[in-house]
Amino acid sequence: MSAAPPPPPQPPTKPQVKAINCPKCGAAIELRSFGKAETVVCGSCHSILDATDPNLKILQTFEIKMREAGPRIPLGKRGKLRGVDYEVIGFQRRSTLVDGTRYSWHEYVLFNPYKGFRYLTEYDGHWNDVGPCKMLPTIVPSNPPKATYLGETYKHFQTCTAETSYVLGEFPWQVRVGEEAEVTDLISPPRVLSSEKSGDEITWSLGEYMYGRDVWAAFQMPGNPPPAVGVFENQPAPVNESVKGVWSAFALHSVLLLALLIVFSVFILRDRQVFSASYSLDAGPQKGEGSFVTDEFELGGRTSNVEVTTHADVDNNWIYLNYALINQGTGQAWDFGREVSYYHGHDSDGNWSEGSRSDSVIVPSVPPGTYYLRIEPEFAANHPRINYAVQVKRDVPVLGFFGLGFLALLVPAIAVTWRRFNFERLRWAESDHPLVTTSSSSSEDD
Amino acid sequence: MIRRLYWIYGLLVLAGTSFAQYSGWSLDKTTALKNIPKSVRDNPGSYRSIYQSYHHYTGGK
Repeated sequence: MSAAPPPPPQPPTKPQVKAINCPKCGAAIELRSFGKAETVVCGSCHSILDATDPNLKILQTFEIKMREAGPRIPLGKRGKLRGVDYEVIGFQRRSTLVDGTRYSWHEYVLFNPYKGFRYLTEYDGHWNDVGPCKMLPTIVPSNPPKATYLGETYKHFQTCTAETSYVLGEFPWQVRVGEEAEVTDLISPPRVLSSEKSGDEITWSLGEYMYGRDVWAAFQMPGNPPPAVGVFENQPAPVNESVKGVWSAFALHSVLLLALLIVFSVFILRDRQVFSASYSLDAGPQKGEGSFVTDEFELGGRTSNVEVTTHADVDNNWIYLNYALINQGTGQAWDFGREVSYYHGHDSDGNWSEGSRSDSVIVPSVPPGTYYLRIEPEFAANHPRINYAVQVKRDVPVLGFFGLGFLALLVPAIAVTWRRFNFERLRWAESDHPLVTTSSSSSEDD
Repeated sequence: MIRRLYWIYGLLVLAGTSFAQYSGWSLDKTTALKNIPKSVRDNPGSYRSIYQSYHHYTGGK
């Protein structure tokens, strides 16, 4: 006779909701926390009931305002946060009064039979996943105060009095509408360390910022989450940890740019003078055709730039030279005009001077070949004798490119820094320690 | 991410600067012309610069 095989192990039963009736209005109330809640709120008559009492003693009854908005995530909704299944079992709205303006936020009570309670908070589309602290943070005496928790330092952001104005569902504490607590937030984005002081009791919790889209995905909510408004206290900066990195990259790129300039100047660019000549203009009006051409000169190497420099001994005078750099073989030309003027004097402000006796221009991308210059001077009608010299150099460094390159490297680094600063300015503007105080708030403080 | 983008951008800036310098680009204003007659060499007055009479600054404070 053989023994009957043992029955196969049964799969764990799915958590079941326990239903009871409200002692005041008789409406059905669903209990989802397996007896872990201390209070439960009737969604029909808004009576706060003692969940630990078999008779569901009525603790408080409150009136709700017309059109009072309920939870965005309905009670009973299940979702997965950080790999753990949670069910929304409670919801409360809390608010604080600052400078005559009331600011409200929402808190959702989440429950998992094995992990216990957890909370989701939402303010203006900004969400936080909040859990109780496993140990007491250490307060660091400073101004503003700081705290350390699990090796991380948190800066004081704000202390305010929070008042509960609306509750629904189950709560693991004796919740009451109208109860007040002193709430202190210390931040180290994306985390926030919060203390709630109610009477002699202080509780600490640790929150981490969540984007609305992640909450919606976790709870498989239809549609889109409410858009986030403004910058929240522990919202991660969009360029977090990037500012130092960008500036270090900027420094390295600037060094590379300088190295490029040196390499070009020393090893690649020939910077060779290929032509030089001196000319003079006699005093008095021009006689006959003023234009002339120079001797031919060779521009060798690859297609590169050409620098034409003019030195003139002008003194409170000017000379203007119409230049044409002409390829003897192809007839290709580069036309340009350059002024050399120098003025100086003395007046009530002292000595002054304007202009320069020297000028240079860089002609771009000139192919190799045999060239000459056509020069046509222009000058004032009554000018003294003017001596001027023309030099032509091949393949010269253009410092302007390196200056522009430096600016092109600098501007994004400044933009990133400004964006980060502006983000922090907006973040701390809502705190007890704004980075920038307005004149009106300063005068109020005075 | 931004640091990586900046690195790519920075390298492009360095490459662009090098290319501009190597190719002989310039920031100055000049006008390229083609087919200037060979007679200019012998008769400079037969050519007129497009910048002629461009300037008539008298200067001074």
